[in-house]
Amino acid sequence: MDLSSIESGQILIDEFLAISDKTLNSYLVATNDAKSVYAPDNVIPPMAIAALVMGSAMRSIQLTPGAVHTGQDLTFFHSVDYGTQLHCQVMVSQNTVRRNVRFLNIDFVINGKGEIVMTGRSSIVIPEESPSS
Amino acid sequence: MNHLPETIRGIPHLISQDQLKEYANCSGDHNPLHLDPAFAATTPYEKPIAHGMLVLAFISSMMTETFGRRWLAGGKLKIRFRAPVYPGEEITSFGTFQAISSDGQEAKYSVSCVNSSGTAAITGEATIPWTTVSDPLPQKDLK
Repeated sequence: MDLSSIESGQILIDEFLAISDKTLNSYLVATNDAKSVYAPDNVIPPMAIAALVMGSAMRSIQLTPGAVHTGQDLTFFHSVDYGTQLHCQVMVSQNTVRRNVRFLNIDFVINGKGEIVMTGRSSIVIPEESPSS
Repeated sequence: MNHLPETIRGIPHLISQDQLKEYANCSGDHNPLHLDPAFAATTPYEKPIAHGMLVLAFISSMMTETFGRRWLAGGKLKIRFRAPVYPGEEITSFGTFQAISSDGQEAKYSVSCVNSSGTAAITGEATIPWTTVSDPLPQKDLK
């Protein structure tokens, strides 16, 4: 995707998602997180949801490998039970270039069972090719 | 636990390349900067680096272990990624109590992920819902 064509306010993702067994186990192994903390209450680690959403966002805009994730805001409004169908909307809230560096902010809202369960903002910087290179 | 801890500390995590592969599988983020040594060698990082969200997960895990549902249903994080994390590094997360918010509704902690050399990979602030200082913490409510 041509990043210069992305407008502030543009929706990148508007879709339902569910965390599968495979994804959840993969997340718990990767992060060495204690499954025992979440399992008794059947709760999904919120960062597993954030990981999935961020991965989808990165793929949707086909970020160049030089992109750097510089900041992250997250708010967890409600815990999410395993098996809950989630709705995720990802939007570009800033896309500007200064001194050959693109500054991209991506906002996301996750809904589950009719209420917002999580919001987030990811800040990403991407070096632009200089005109002389 | 009936009071807010002054300091909290997560378990140390030794980062491995296998972990990065596993995280790429669950997140779908297969950026070669995290996975391909040949590609990473062409970047300023020179070697594969961990996904920022993987390292950030250590802070959330520490907050969950300490505050249970208060974190999972009301927690807020605002962080900056300060330095890359490489496979082979050991990362530990920390939190230090800062203040109760002016409206008395939230407790704020400074948080960080630090390698064994003392370099902070992540710094920022985490907030949990908190009504009064004596508000009991149902730390084990997930068990």
